[in-house]
Amino acid sequence: MSKRKKQLLSAAGGTLIVALTVLICYLVFTKNEDLNLKYDDNATVGIMPGIDLDARRKELQDALDRSMIAYSINTSPVFLNGTSKGNLLIENPGNNAKLLRVSIKIDSTQEEIYSSEYLKPGTYIDSVALDKVLEKGTYDATAYFLAYDEADGEYIGETGAQITITVQN
Amino acid sequence: MKKKTLFLQLALAASLLFSTVSYAAAPETSRDIPVGGSGQMEMIGTIEPTILSVTMPTFVPFNISNSLTTQNKVISPRIRMKNNSNIPVRVDVAYTKVDLSKLNHVEWSNTGTVNDNQIAIGLKQEETKDEMPTSLAQARWLKANVSQDMNVLILNANQEDALYVVGTLGQNVSDSGTFNVTPTFVVSRTSAAE
Repeated sequence: MSKRKKQLLSAAGGTLIVALTVLICYLVFTKNEDLNLKYDDNATVGIMPGIDLDARRKELQDALDRSMIAYSINTSPVFLNGTSKGNLLIENPGNNAKLLRVSIKIDSTQEEIYSSEYLKPGTYIDSVALDKVLEKGTYDATAYFLAYDEADGEYIGETGAQITITVQN
Repeated sequence: MKKKTLFLQLALAASLLFSTVSYAAAPETSRDIPVGGSGQMEMIGTIEPTILSVTMPTFVPFNISNSLTTQNKVISPRIRMKNNSNIPVRVDVAYTKVDLSKLNHVEWSNTGTVNDNQIAIGLKQEETKDEMPTSLAQARWLKANVSQDMNVLILNANQEDALYVVGTLGQNVSDSGTFNVTPTFVVSRTSAAE
């Protein structure tokens, strides 16, 4: 093949590639502009109820799985006196991927005696003093674990654990 | 020669002295008790705190529809609960917040029996893995906006089990519209697992 023919073939190939690129870009970018679609504000993303039971159930399962939390707490924390620290041992495990906040309320009065700040996943509180001073005695209480989205801090839900607090003096 | 002997005797005496001292300093816990004799041994016990550790949902989404042909009208996810502790635990519903304000002329039923304008929602322990219940038998019904303390599950140490939302609704309850049911699960240690 002569040198001239090779040059002609290369030029033709290059021109073809450029033409195809221009055509594809035209089709992609002009399609949406020409249609100028208006999407209905009333439409809900998802599968319509009653259409596909299994698919609907899978959506619900995904939503529930995202709300799962793991936590640990000492069921019988002991405080030397009303102002001292006690071994609450509250844990937000590393696999949670959620922020946790803990609120402890006395069962009989519903008075909140302790409220933590947010706990990141993979952190725990060993011992801490309560926010309210309790007299010597034993108290049935519930520790509520409130879960928040780690990315935007949005409240997800809560669950609780029953504990017995002992103040020794 | 005498001097050398004296030096060796002194060295021997010094080494015997120090070995006696080091023997006396050895901890008492490892001393020998002669055969046929008696001795005292100190035992130090530390009470470890009982840790309750669980994995459970904080939010339970579900759908309810009269179009389902089964007695149970709820499409429910599998509500998985896992006890990660070394003690048995019980799971109770302490309170259920119910908001029907977005539904017109609809009331709540605490018993599972509904009239034409009522909705009832409850929880049922899983009978067959990954299968939603079709009947309402053995369902535990949620009471709206009152303290309840209703046991729904008992989990042995390191055991996992599951619940499903079940429910029914009267024929006049519209299929469109949403309502909120927010049960608060409370876990506590229990002495006896079933």
